[in-house]
Amino acid sequence: MKAELSPRMKVFLYGLMCVLLVPFVFPTWWMVTSSVKPISDIFAFPPQLVPQSYDWTTYQKVFELQPFVQQYWNSAYIAALVTLGTMVVSSMAGYAFARIRFPFANTIFMIVLLGLLIPSEVTIVPLFQMFLKAGMVNTHWPLILVPIFGAPSVFATFVMRQFFVTLPGELEEAARVDGLGRFKIFRKIALPLARPALASVAIFTFLHSWNLFLEPIVFLSSADKFTLPQALTQYTDAYGGPMWNIQLAAATLTALPVLIVFIIAQKQFVEGLAHTGLKG
Amino acid sequence: MAVAQENVAPEGRASSPFWTVARRDSLAGFLFIAPQLIGIIVFVLIPLGLVFWYSLHEWNVLANTFTYTGAQNYRMLIEDTNLLEVLGATAIFSAGLVVFNLSLALLLAVLLNQKLAGITIFRTLFFSPVVVSLVAWTIVWGFLLQKNGGINGMLQVFGIEGPNWLREETTAMISVIVVQVFKNVGLNMILFLAALQGVPNELYEAARIDGAPRFKQFRRITLPLISPTILLTSIITIVGSLQVFAQIAVLTQGGPGLSTTVLVYYLYQQAFQFHFFGYGSTLSILLFVIVAVLTFAQWQMRKRIVFYES
Amino acid sequence: MNYHKALKSAAAVLAIAAPLGILAVGNGVAQAQDAVNLRMTIWSANEAHLKLFNEIAAGFKKDHPNVTVTYESLPFDTYTTALTTQIAGGNAPDMAWIFETAAYDFVNSGALYPLTDTLKAAQGYNLDELSATAAERWSKDGTLYAYPFSTSPFAMFVNNDVIKAAGAKTPAELIAAGQWDWDHAIETASAVGQTGKGGLIVRDFNYQIWQNLASIWNGWGASPWSADGKTCTMTEKPMVDALTFIHDAIFKKKAIPGPGENVDFFAGNAAMTITQISRASLLPKDKPFAWDLVPLPRGPAGEYALIGQAGIGVMQAGKNAETAAEFVAYMTNPENSAKLSQFFPSARKSLLNAEVLKKTNPLLSQDQIDKVVISGIATGKVIPGHTGFAQIQQTVRSGLDAVWRPDADIPGTLQKICGQIGPFLKR
Repeated sequence: MKAELSPRMKVFLYGLMCVLLVPFVFPTWWMVTSSVKPISDIFAFPPQLVPQSYDWTTYQKVFELQPFVQQYWNSAYIAALVTLGTMVVSSMAGYAFARIRFPFANTIFMIVLLGLLIPSEVTIVPLFQMFLKAGMVNTHWPLILVPIFGAPSVFATFVMRQFFVTLPGELEEAARVDGLGRFKIFRKIALPLARPALASVAIFTFLHSWNLFLEPIVFLSSADKFTLPQALTQYTDAYGGPMWNIQLAAATLTALPVLIVFIIAQKQFVEGLAHTGLKG
Repeated sequence: MAVAQENVAPEGRASSPFWTVARRDSLAGFLFIAPQLIGIIVFVLIPLGLVFWYSLHEWNVLANTFTYTGAQNYRMLIEDTNLLEVLGATAIFSAGLVVFNLSLALLLAVLLNQKLAGITIFRTLFFSPVVVSLVAWTIVWGFLLQKNGGINGMLQVFGIEGPNWLREETTAMISVIVVQVFKNVGLNMILFLAALQGVPNELYEAARIDGAPRFKQFRRITLPLISPTILLTSIITIVGSLQVFAQIAVLTQGGPGLSTTVLVYYLYQQAFQFHFFGYGSTLSILLFVIVAVLTFAQWQMRKRIVFYES
Repeated sequence: MNYHKALKSAAAVLAIAAPLGILAVGNGVAQAQDAVNLRMTIWSANEAHLKLFNEIAAGFKKDHPNVTVTYESLPFDTYTTALTTQIAGGNAPDMAWIFETAAYDFVNSGALYPLTDTLKAAQGYNLDELSATAAERWSKDGTLYAYPFSTSPFAMFVNNDVIKAAGAKTPAELIAAGQWDWDHAIETASAVGQTGKGGLIVRDFNYQIWQNLASIWNGWGASPWSADGKTCTMTEKPMVDALTFIHDAIFKKKAIPGPGENVDFFAGNAAMTITQISRASLLPKDKPFAWDLVPLPRGPAGEYALIGQAGIGVMQAGKNAETAAEFVAYMTNPENSAKLSQFFPSARKSLLNAEVLKKTNPLLSQDQIDKVVISGIATGKVIPGHTGFAQIQQTVRSGLDAVWRPDADIPGTLQKICGQIGPFLKR
């Protein structure tokens, strides 16, 4: 399908894509623009595409009402740690499942894959009790440990395994002849080749951690420990009524940086995925 | 699925008679998977066992009583008059989500795979909802889907009076599916795009020389070659669809009636809102069994559907 | 609590002690008792509220230097859920706010520590002052299990600008003419609704929190279940009539915004709203409209009032339940109740007079305080509640969805709902 397209075809494709874009772009546009609208304009019907009047104090209030900078930092450092940790754990496990022959490897792999199948709602109550016994409730540990070692990292392990399976065996043979041990082969030879797969694992993991909702609500209770998705729901008046424009301003602040990073890094991301075992 | 590879050289240096290459490798293998395996045992298997244990009890949280009741919760499961409706809603939701998600993802991937100027801009925009916080995305759609919200406002421009999206059974289900698809279709789109770009160009050229029309090329060459990706994305999407929770909670709270009460939401209600942790655990076990059976079935089907696997 | 001062003196002690090498660990402050940390879960994250609560905690610390009280704000919408999750996980707070709808669950389950003895023993507490009707839902067998610190009547906020623009009669005019009843109120709301603005909004109802409709159907003498809570009474005539009236107001007269229509009264987009008087704080400060506050209209069954309540309970499971009960006694003593009543109307008789209320509700006129607040608290029924309310609420909510459509079969639907909740009511 890589043949040159006729001009008419091009116009058709552009038009089709523009129409398809509407539901993808409009909500974000509406979120950003509504964040500076006075509250009564948010409910205006028909909706205003461009704010009629601007109220920038919403952004100031985002920081006044919640320790937003602290919450931003919480989300950022948790997501960074989880991403790094998952990369280490899943690349090692993925490598072993793909390239090392050891007893019960298939059985263990199947057991690990169970993690893919279990919704977090299912295990949240026992996990809460376990972390309570360990004295880790209202700390960030559950949000760091569970994703790195538990169910969420299984997908990353799966991706890494799919990638390592495709590596030619000759590379390792050569390294072995040179006297390298398993760990060195992994670190010096396999891992550098796995950069594209690692990149996509990193992005998936980061997004998952950044958007985590149920777990922070269950595990965290003080505002200075909150993560961003949880903080968003805290912009309410004294009676639980949401302060819409401030919520939307906070939501904009949480989405934009990630969006910008994605725009910068998207080439690597897409090409990274293209080189993983996922392509089939 | 073959895990180990035939790649262990028998003539590796053995420093002692006991530490043969095979034994060293076994040790290395266990060490490599240890963090993941221990994590799965501690954070998945043990909690799952506890959930099963809870499901055999009646657990009154407020009164702090925990009584062994054997299979009573499972009998309740069979007698639960709501359950059939809930499972029906779950099936419709998951099926609708997977079909819509995969076909839209494939369509977008094919479009983005064209040689067009500025295609990366489109790619970025289609992907952008993935990075927007799920809660924010859902709240915004909640606004837009109101009877006097943005969607109907736009429809009004074209002279159409839109339905009361979140308050009619059919449109409420469509709404929660569509909101979820637009949020996450970007991931599948990228996976498909990667797969499409992996299809060797020569195959198309050969087909073109044979005079095969575009659609036929797509059906005969593209689809079979990307079938492993289709399988993988459909498994991920189905499993994901059974875990959808925040969207339902924000948009419809399971209504109108029980029309959008999917299993995970019902489980949440029973356990966390009604405080029936024992029964909620029983529903958890049911959910786990459903996910496991579905995944197993899909995996078995791969031999028939998947044309080629690397 | 003067944190900076304490820090400074601590630094001074360190500076003297350190060179002499006599800094013994753990011997700094003479403290006979162990430090006690009490945690109270609340659903407000409002700064002004927290400031007051912290002041009260600091006051308590003066007499109990070993006790530190912290407040944990949980999201309003999922408050009870979050609280019970903590309890289920074995992490129960020492004290918790409790919604009136969930009161029966907490009081009847044995989760709460009995308060009567501690409150009676507290000096100058004067528990008898608490009106019996206000305490009813929070007591079992004559023992108080949670203190109702907030007893807030429902009333009608009015936007006179919007009503006059529609050429309709304002509630004040109707009251003056002796015509303040539901038919006239809906007539006014309908006139505004026809102009494209919102008519009457039952705040927070949103076709989900149906118990707030008690602010209308109590005027018909309707109630969802019998006084003992055992029998569903939704099929009886008052409820059928009231819901038919509400249904007509929504779908025939456009007097109440329909399902899925978002209209905000406090943004100036509707004629009237029924809500608790404490929401007066939501009235816009800039670009205000001409607003009024009136009692709920008369219904076919006569005049009536509705109140919402909130209680503070001490968790039985906590290690320091006794100390926590003492803190509740301190927090709700006459002096602190007076402070709290600026946000949360008190059910103490001494605080239910116009003079005190005027001070705490500066936005309201004398007349409004007399007619809405005082008589509302005195005569109001509390919002319906029941043991196992969350499940009943959810079942009725999804059942009522069939009522909220133009072609509804109201008696048939109510019949069905009663069939569904019947077994839950008997539990």
